[in-house]
Amino acid sequence: MQKIDKVKRDKALELLKSGSDSKLLTHLNACVRCGLCSGSCMFYIAHKQSKYIPAKKVDLVSSVYRRYCTSMGKIAPALVNAKDLDDSMAEEMVDLLFGSCTMCGRCVKHCSIGVDIAYIVRKGREMLSAMDMVPASLQATVDSALRTGNNMAIPTEEFVDTIKWMEEELIDEMGDNNARIPLDEPDKNIFYTLNPREPKFFPLSISAIAKIFYAAGENWTISSRFYDVTNYGFFNGNKEQATVIARNLYDEIHKLRGNVLVLGECGHGTRANRWEGPNYLQKSYDFDMTTAVELIADYIRQGRIKLDRSLNKELVTIHDPCNLVRNGGLLEEIRFVVKSAADNFTEMNPHGNENFCCGGGGGMLAMSEYNDRRLKIGEIKANQIRATGAKVVITPCHNCVDQLSQLNHTYKLGIKIKTIAELVADALIIEK
Amino acid sequence: MATLEVGGKVFDVDGDGFLTDPSVWNDEVATMFARLDGIEELTEKHWAIVRIIRNNFEEKGNAPMIRFICQETGLKLREIYELFPLGPARGACRVAGLPKPDGCV
Repeated sequence: MQKIDKVKRDKALELLKSGSDSKLLTHLNACVRCGLCSGSCMFYIAHKQSKYIPAKKVDLVSSVYRRYCTSMGKIAPALVNAKDLDDSMAEEMVDLLFGSCTMCGRCVKHCSIGVDIAYIVRKGREMLSAMDMVPASLQATVDSALRTGNNMAIPTEEFVDTIKWMEEELIDEMGDNNARIPLDEPDKNIFYTLNPREPKFFPLSISAIAKIFYAAGENWTISSRFYDVTNYGFFNGNKEQATVIARNLYDEIHKLRGNVLVLGECGHGTRANRWEGPNYLQKSYDFDMTTAVELIADYIRQGRIKLDRSLNKELVTIHDPCNLVRNGGLLEEIRFVVKSAADNFTEMNPHGNENFCCGGGGGMLAMSEYNDRRLKIGEIKANQIRATGAKVVITPCHNCVDQLSQLNHTYKLGIKIKTIAELVADALIIEK
Repeated sequence: MATLEVGGKVFDVDGDGFLTDPSVWNDEVATMFARLDGIEELTEKHWAIVRIIRNNFEEKGNAPMIRFICQETGLKLREIYELFPLGPARGACRVAGLPKPDGCV
């Protein structure tokens, strides 16, 4: 049965035809086929098949553009490598733009003329989304967020019970009834956000940040309804859905009259809120926004928290989340915090802006359809980690944490994986 | 759809190795899936976790919160992570025959 009818195809092509996107037109027409991007891409390095070369992914979208948006493409498509947007093209696009790209942007940094390849991949995903061709598991994650306000569909009362439980443990540990995890409290300085996997399965990172806030004497709260920092609408290519999710947080911080939106440790969530949010909502945000990493760095610089590095003696290394470092500028801030909290530190090679993705970015971790590929490209990361000899890998992104955990198991690395808050909480000197 | 061959049997699974049809699950399946994750024998503590996850799934259609697992079993969080090295989602939920939870897991 034909999947793509004229109505669907026209919706997808509309995204290419809108003349207002000069960036899109420039970047679709700019690739000079130098091939430098091939050595950047984990999929190509791991599989050595030409279809995985980033320029080939760009060419899928640009060949459709040429077919429907240029005179030569309309008259003599074969001459200009213009291709129909039919079922087989759409399936190839799903396989390569959803299933073979983590949107890590490493190729963009290496492109000899600066084509924003990840941007073109995202445009291709938008076209697929317009044709209802988003992989089911990725769409399910977005649907959960739209339906319930968080991507794991955690009911509010279960979330509240979990936070109360963590709060009791914190009060016990600190021996102080003021060691709180304040829920839904208005007029606080900080409105904190979480990745739903924290309350659902891995709440130690919530205790860790709560302990840091306690030590810093911070005035903070978490919303019980809209606390989810993630926005998988950034990955599924559906801007309307991404906008609804971004607006949930925007409206909630206003409702609670919070001062600063602090984005929990999440790569794409930071990008989707901090850099894309104002574009989605078509307005500039009237509150400050920062990340947990920068906030903790400020506490250290201002002396609001004191750390004893000797409490973290094992050799640590950093895995740089693509959306926070290469695409987010936190390279130095992450290192400042980690070096302030750990005695022994070593870099991965390559690292920072040149770092390899964990392999689970771009929504890959949520897409069961491509599990084998994800673990295969992850071997590059596993080898990088092993070569450092580090016992602990620090990464300020819960998505990376999960992928690294699976790599740890699959490739028998024998490491511990921690968030920045967990590392810092372990080094805290609590003054009583 | 992928398949997983274990103990001479073939199961339909998703790409992450979670059962496609949770109703084919039984104790034997749990034992076989656990071995794939390097858990040679399911101890009493493992079973306590698996049963709670399974019951929650059969009653409510999803995995329970980790808080519920801890409170019902009396186990500490860190113990659960040690018992299932792949964690509560990729580890315990898969052994309990649930579909893969959505999100960053």
